[in-house]
Parts: sequence; C-alpha cells; structure tokens
Amino acid sequence: MLKCSGLSKSFEKELFSDLDLELEPGEILAITGPSGCGKTTLLRCICGLDNPDTGTVFLNDKNIGEQDTERRGIGMIFQQPVLFPHLSVEGNLRLGDKNGDIDSALKEVGLENFEQRNVTSLSGGEGQRVALARALLAKPKVLLLDEPFSSLDEDLAMKLVSDVRSILKQRGCPAILVTHNRIVAGKFADSVISM
Amino acid sequence: MKRFTFLVGVLILNLTISGCLTDKIDDNKASQPEEYEWVDDGELVIVTYDVYGLTDEMLEQFENESGYEVTLLKLDDAGSVLDHLLQHKGQQVADIAIGLDNTYLQTAIDNNVLWEHNAMLQNISESALLPYDGPLAVPFDQGYICLNYDSDIVDGVNYTVPESLWELTEEEWEGKVAIPSPETSSPGRAFMTATTDYFSTDSDNETEWTDWWSAMSLNDVIITTGWSEAYETRYTGGYGEWTDGYVGDAHIVVSYCHSPGVESWYNGNWTKSAALDIPKASFHQVEYAAALEGGNLDSASAFIEYLLSPEVNSKMPIENSMYSALEGYDLPEENGYLFHSVVPSEPAVVSSATIASNMEEWLEMWNKAMVDA
Amino acid sequence: MPEMNIRLSNSCALLAYTLLVILPLWLALDRLIWVAGANPLDWYSSLEQNYVSQGVIQFTFIQALTSTLATLAIGLPIAWQLGRYKWPFQSFTKAILTMPFVMPSIVAAMGFLHIVGRAGLNIRVDDSTWFTTLIIAHAWFNMALVIRFCEPVISTLDPRLEEQMRLLPAGSSKTGRFRHLWAPLLAPSIAAAACMTFVFSFTSFALVRWITLGDNTLESVMAGIGSSAGIEGYMISRNEIVLGSSMIQFTILLLSLFLMSWLQQKRQSLLPQVSEEVVKQSNPKGWTVIGPALAFALSPLIAVFWASFRIRNTDSSGTHYTWETSGWEFAFSSSNSMTSAWDALYNSLGYASLTLIIALPLGWILAQTILDVEKDKPRFARFLDVLTMLPFAISSVMIGLGVMLGMIRIDAEFFYSFWPTPALAHVMITTPFVVRIMLPALRAIDPEYDECGRTLGISKWRRFFQIKLPLLRGSILVAVIFTLAMSLGEFGASWVVTRNSDWTTLPIMIDSLRAIPYNNSLTAPAACAVSSVLMGITLVLFTWAEKFRPSRDGGMF
Repeated sequence: MLKCSGLSKSFEKELFSDLDLELEPGEILAITGPSGCGKTTLLRCICGLDNPDTGTVFLNDKNIGEQDTERRGIGMIFQQPVLFPHLSVEGNLRLGDKNGDIDSALKEVGLENFEQRNVTSLSGGEGQRVALARALLAKPKVLLLDEPFSSLDEDLAMKLVSDVRSILKQRGCPAILVTHNRIVAGKFADSVISM
Repeated sequence: MKRFTFLVGVLILNLTISGCLTDKIDDNKASQPEEYEWVDDGELVIVTYDVYGLTDEMLEQFENESGYEVTLLKLDDAGSVLDHLLQHKGQQVADIAIGLDNTYLQTAIDNNVLWEHNAMLQNISESALLPYDGPLAVPFDQGYICLNYDSDIVDGVNYTVPESLWELTEEEWEGKVAIPSPETSSPGRAFMTATTDYFSTDSDNETEWTDWWSAMSLNDVIITTGWSEAYETRYTGGYGEWTDGYVGDAHIVVSYCHSPGVESWYNGNWTKSAALDIPKASFHQVEYAAALEGGNLDSASAFIEYLLSPEVNSKMPIENSMYSALEGYDLPEENGYLFHSVVPSEPAVVSSATIASNMEEWLEMWNKAMVDA
Repeated sequence: MPEMNIRLSNSCALLAYTLLVILPLWLALDRLIWVAGANPLDWYSSLEQNYVSQGVIQFTFIQALTSTLATLAIGLPIAWQLGRYKWPFQSFTKAILTMPFVMPSIVAAMGFLHIVGRAGLNIRVDDSTWFTTLIIAHAWFNMALVIRFCEPVISTLDPRLEEQMRLLPAGSSKTGRFRHLWAPLLAPSIAAAACMTFVFSFTSFALVRWITLGDNTLESVMAGIGSSAGIEGYMISRNEIVLGSSMIQFTILLLSLFLMSWLQQKRQSLLPQVSEEVVKQSNPKGWTVIGPALAFALSPLIAVFWASFRIRNTDSSGTHYTWETSGWEFAFSSSNSMTSAWDALYNSLGYASLTLIIALPLGWILAQTILDVEKDKPRFARFLDVLTMLPFAISSVMIGLGVMLGMIRIDAEFFYSFWPTPALAHVMITTPFVVRIMLPALRAIDPEYDECGRTLGISKWRRFFQIKLPLLRGSILVAVIFTLAMSLGEFGASWVVTRNSDWTTLPIMIDSLRAIPYNNSLTAPAACAVSSVLMGITLVLFTWAEKFRPSRDGGMF
C-alpha cells in the first residue's frame, strides 16, 4: 500500500540514493542501520517533513509526493515524545481527534485515568504511550516510528515494544520503525531491512 | 537575494521621494499668494505658547458667540511659535498666531507668513502701537523686561543695590545674577536687545555691549534655558522658593518690571522682590496676535476682535500677568499689584526693523562673547 | 501556497517597517542636511563652539559613566543577595526592586525632585547636589538591569561547580573562588548591564530636564533647540547642533548595540544549566542590603503620591501647608487653560492601544522573517536584525524630531489634524522591543512541535492557534505589557511631537503642569496627581507582566 521508489537525499553527504521500499497492508517493517545513516531523514521524506531530492512516494497507488504533510494521513512518533506542555493529556489527545473516545484510547495504551495529568509530569514511557494514543486517534494510514524506544531503559522498552506491536496488529495498521537496535527491530517487526 | 534587492529598491525609492519633496518645498517658497484665498471652514486653529490668558472659559465664550470651533496648538515659548510658522511656511496648519513679541514679529513679517487681518479695532493704547503699527499684527498685551532683585538680601547692607549694568560685573555679584538665554528665551532676547542700546548710548565709548556680556560670563552669570528656570529655580526673591526644584542662588534675575506686582497680587499684598529701574536697561515688550497666511482669515479676525474687546483684554493683568493693550486699563490696585510694579523711566529704544535685521548677528556676537570670555 | 503567504506577509512587514520607521527618519535627516550642509566637521564645531551646547558632549559622557558606576555599585549587592539566598516573598521582593525600570522617567523625575526639594531632604538649595541627584536617579532607574542580568546567573549556578571549586587549590579561598569562578561567570552579565545603563543614562531626557540646571546633555540640547530645525536659511547653527548631537548619539548607541549583542552571546554560553531547583538558605545579614534597597526603590513613588495631597498656602503671614485633594480636582477638571487629566488619560490609553495594534504584529512578523531567512541567507538575516534594532540607536528626542520633520515634509496639515500621529513615534520606539522579545521566543519553540502537529493532520491555522500561540503566550503577554507601558510613559518623542498638536498625553501633561509659572499653588500637586495615575497604571501592568515572565530568561526585559 505504501510504496517509495527511487528516493534519494543528500544533506552535506549522501544519505541514501535510489531507495525502493514497499509496505503491504498491515505489515510492520523495521529499518536498521547505524546512527547518522539517514533513517530519520527517510521517515521525514515519507511523511513530507523533508522533500527527497529525487523519487516519489505512493500511498494506495496515489502519488503523495506533492502533498502537504498534514494531508498525507501518515502518523509519526518521534524519538522523544513530543507533547504540548500547555495542554493536559486529554488536550494533547484531542489534537489527534477532536471528538475521539479519549477513554478507550488511553485504555488501549494502558494509561487509564490519565486524562487530566500534566504532560510534564509523565515518565518517558508514559509519554511515548500518550504520543502513540494521540497518533492512533488521528487514524493514520501508516504509522512511522522514529526510535521511540531508544530513550527508555531496556525492560521498559521491551514491554513497550510488544505492547505497541500488538496494538498495531490488532488495528491492522501498517508501520515502519527505524532503529539502530537489531533486537528491538526483530521483536517489533514482521520483516527487517538494513540501510 | 531577491528580498535584499527589494529592500534596496525601497531605500532608493525613499531617496527619490525625498528629492521630489525638496523640490516641492522650493516651489512653495517661490509662489507667494497674490490674493487671499481661503475657505471659511468654521474652525479657528490657534498656535500659541502657554499664554495663560487664553482660559477655557474665554475660548468657550468665543466659540458660543462666534460659532467657530477652536483648537489650540501650544508650544513652549514665543520663539517656538515663530519656528512653527517658518517651518510650516506654505502649508500653514493654524489660522492665527498668538504670542509673537516685538523681537520676533518683524522676522515673521519679513518671511511673509502673516496676512492682513480685517478686524475692527479701537482704543488700542499708543504705547502698545509704538514698536509696530500696521495691519499684519495686533498687540494684545505688553510689559517691560527688566532686572528684579531680592530686597531682603539686596538691602544696601549685605549687597548694594546696583545702579548700572557694569556694577553687576563686580565680584560682589559673582554667580548671583540669573538671565534667561537670548538663544532660547524671549525675555532673554529682549534683555539682550536692551543691552545693545544701553551700551551704545552710555558715556563710555570704549566698550561694546558684547564686552559687558563677556565680563558677565567671567563673573559666572547664570544663563538659563528659559524664564522659569531663571525666576523659579534660581531667583531667591520670588515664589520659586516654595517649589520643589528650587535652588535659589541668584539674587538678581531678568524678569518683568511688574513681576513684583504679580508676586504681591498672589501673596496677598506682600513681596520681597523689587524691580530695578536702570535707564536703558529695560525693554518694552509687546505681544501680538496675527492672522496667518493661508488660514481662515474670518475666524482669525473675529478672534482678534474678541481678544481686543475691553471685556477680555482688561483681564490681561490677572489672567496673563501682563498689561492690557488697551488705553485706560492699568494694573489693578488690589493686593498691591500696581504698587509693586514699576514703569521704567527710560526703556531702551530699538526699532523692530533694527531687531529683525540684526538679531541673528547679535545672537552670534552674544554667543562669541560668552564662549570666548 | 503557504510559502507564498509567508513570503507575502514578510515582505509586507518589511515594507511597513520601512514606511513607518525608516522613511520619516530618512526625510528628517535629509531636511536637516539640506539646511545645514553635509559636513560633519561643521556640525561638530557648531556643537563645540556654541554657548548653548558647549561642554555638553563632555558632560553627557561624564554623567553617563558616573551613572553606570553608581548603578553597578547599588545593583550588584542587591543582585547577589537576591540570587544567592532565600527571601520571604522572593518574587514579590524582586518585582519591587526591578519595578523602577518600567516607571515613566517623568514620574521618577517628579519623585526625586520632591525627595531633594524643600519638602523632603531640602538639600537642593546647595546647587552642587543636582549632579548627585541625577546620578542617584539614574541608578534608581537602571538598577533593575543589573538585577535582571546578574541575578539569574548567580541563582542558577550549579552548586556542584562551587563545591568542586572549593576542593581545588585555586578555589580554596574566597578571593580565589571569586577570581576563578564568579568573576569570569558574571563578567559578561555585568558588562551587558553596564552597557545598557550607559545607553539609557546617555540619552536620558526627562530626568535631565527636571533635575539638572540648564540643558546639559545632548538629548536635552536637541530638545531645547529642535523646534528651530529644518527651516531654510534660519538658525543654521541649530541644525548643525542637532545633526552633530544626533550623529554622536547614533555612533555611541550603535557601538553599544554591537557590544551588547556580543556580550549577550557570551552570556548565553555561560548561563549555567541546572536541572533541579537549588535549595538556598536565608541570610538575615542580607537585610542590611535588601531593606534599604526596597526603601530606595519605593521612595520616589511614595514621595510623588504624598506630594499630590500637599497644598501650599502663601499669604502675608508666611507659607504653610495643608493636606487636601484639591490638586487631584485641579488635574481632573478642565476649568483652566490646561487640558483635563481625563483627556490626557484618554489620549494616552488610545495611543498605547494603537501602538500595540501596530507594533506587536509588525515586530512579531519581523522576528519571524529574521528566523525564516536565517537558514538560507544568514547575511540577510543579520542585516535585518541590525535594521530592526536601528531605532534602539536613535534616542527618543531624535525620533520625535524625525517624526515632526518627516510629517512636515509629507503633509503637515493632514498629520497635525490626524489624532494617531503621536502613536507613530511610539511605534518606532516599541517595535524593536517587540522584535527582541519575540525573536528568542520564536527561536525557542522546538520545530518538532509543529512537525508533530503536521503528522497529526492539523491544518495550518489550527496549528497556529492551538499550538504556536499558546506556546508563545508568555512572551506575547510580556511584549504586550511592555509595549503598553513604554507607550504610556514615553516622554522625549511625545514632547517633541505633541508640541505642535492639540493632543496631550499623561507624561506631557505632568511636564506642562510643572512648567506653568506663577500663580496657582495647585499645579505642582496636580502634576503629582497625574504622576500618581500614570504610576498606578504602570504598576498594574508591571505586576501583570511579572506573572507571565518566562522564569529563566534572564534577558533584557
């Protein structure tokens, strides 16, 4: 359903060139590689935060390369949870879907009764769960995850990896994870490629 | 880089516009209106300094009687009024100027910024018409500029009462005389004008008026920006000692010959200030109302008539602390106003034409005398 | 498409800035040079050789330098005590001590006049005291700068640094720790505060006008003779003096600006980062500093308020004083030739609102423009940065003269009957401050917030209103309050501009009331009554600003 063909991008040095990628419906893919190899930039090119030098991105056979990020319907989880400090947990979630079911969204990520919590009081793992719930509320066609587990300690990271995987599988939401950690990649994804 | 080019473009455009405007101003200067051309817009814009005679009640009464709507532009002093007129030559914003005195009037006339009024006037005192008697300006108040002294201190014991200007250059008066600067104040300008006459007619042919100023400069004369700083802040003999900025280091000050009378009037028939009647060391100052070129001549003339009506003009001593410009209205006797005021026996005589043609040069000479001393 | 919009709004802001700020100043300069000639040496020699302005350059420098030293001497101990120790009502205490900086200078002038005047310490009769009074008043006004710049460095220093220092041979003694830790850490902040204090003292007008005798500084000389400027063939030396003064001021202020931006960079790099709050101790001995400091900060304001009720009565039996509210009645009635304080209040509030409506968006978009072009065209960004700071280098009297002469050249009749005209001067003065406040705030917003919003499918407008605006809220409010406060208290430029008009603002009314000669014993109390009103409004604004100030900015404002 998501198809990238011939993507290349250089930023001072060449990051990737002529890269092809294809994602089946419901598939979870992991891309591994050392830091600085352009994994993050690849995700940014897919969701439109950066423009590739060449190549195009297709979503359901439609060229979305010219579309603004906000119209592509591709969600993204950043390395550090990006939560808006001026809003509560609920306020943050409402940005994903104004009228969404906040209760069940929080329940899904295991944070019941967190609605009124101040986001600055959340731990790193809780923050990523809120970010995930918010991204899912926006009903993305594809979810991109940029090393969301790397800043957590190992036990917590592994718990979150399996939780997130099962949530995505349950929803049938296709996803791409980039990580430098092969163990995480193997545990999270259906297939792993390396850059 | 595109936007940079744009900005440079804007800057160049500015240059061009300013160039055009400079030309435009030159054009205005060249074109003198041959005939009067104005619209009676139902308004009267007065440009004046803080002339306190123009009370709100007075203006309101004028508005009610004449139907004109009055706007006041208040500047600092008479000098600023002239500056304003010259700066706006050709695009005058006001209809009437009130408060140009006889040291400034001729410059305004020479620069063609005044129009002949069409007011019907009568009973203007002869003395008020002495410096200028023409259709371009009407005197509305008058007074004499002269030295005042603190009679509590200058009592003939601690200090001798000076009888000539030269006495003030003696050590006794070092740092004790305050004079508003002729550069920035109209009483100062008037007093300097008096000194040009004083020293040209004195018995001593060797010295010039500038020599006296140099000697004063060496004697640490206090030169202030305006009249208020000289009288209110520096002078020990006046009401200034009750104000918060008061310093009080001068026992002699340049003010009006009737200033002691004003003191007495406000204090309830008591003052320690006295006017010093030294021949030729005083100057007859007349203040004028004048219709402005390009303004509303009807409203300006109406206001001049109103200002010179006995009802309004007779109040000048009280409202504006100046003599009336009409015949037969002296200072009131109440509270010692008249008693403490002096009419100088022999004021300096300098014609308005002489003043206008020499003032800039005098100021330069004065400046040189003060700086080089 | 959106990029086009951004380009358009940026260009519009640049154009508006050029038309509103640069153009009038340019026209004024052009006119002055047209009258006086373009030879700076002539300007300078007029300045030096004219009795009006002789010795003014030296005096301006001397008083500014002395004021700077006095400000540091008073401000540093306060900053140290505030930053180092715990105080009851910490933020309230700090607010009182930094409040003088936002007070209108004319209010401060009235306050100090009453303190040294005959109803107060009665030391003014000795004519040598006015210099000291001026210096102390400048120190009062500017000590907030020292506190704002130095206190954050002192209070947020990681205690481990000092502990580490104690264990090293070089830091075993107090002087050693001072030399190797505190001095290098604080030096850029002290220098920055000194630089700003110098600038403010150098161009101070209301205080110089009322406290010193005569026109002693470049700023007051320009104000005094500026009314004769720009007339062809008339009083040419005055044009030269105005030009000479402007050029000297411009050069000094420009140099200070460059010095400031360099010092600010140094400061930022040295601002220590502490993650957790440092636990501080209280210091009873410090009250010997903080106590008098609080009294010092409050005394001119109390003096003004007090003097507004004190009425002089002079008659043949002498002079005595009574306590009445007649000064207030006099100020607020219009039965005299003065404008009523209601009119002045109405004008002041109107100009402040108008200034806000123009300066806030203008300054904001200019700040955004600088950020937008920073990445691709760093040199153009730098140029814009300097251009938006340009009015900082132009003193308020110069701005006033600029507006006045600029107006005369475009269409005097229109501008003099155009009520908003004085607000133009306020826009010129406040826009650079808005840029300075918004630029770091915009820069501090993590771009990931916006990116995250985009990946959530939120539209541009919703991102602006729901994400960007709330994140900037604190800085916007600070900018709003400062714009309002500066416009309300603005004196120098208004003094020049409103002289030719029918409109009076509160600060100008205070000045006019004090300048009325003779008669009424109510004018001085009335001036104090109007000062009290202005003071009250400023205090309310300031208290409000304190609530929203980003806590660890440590910046200029």
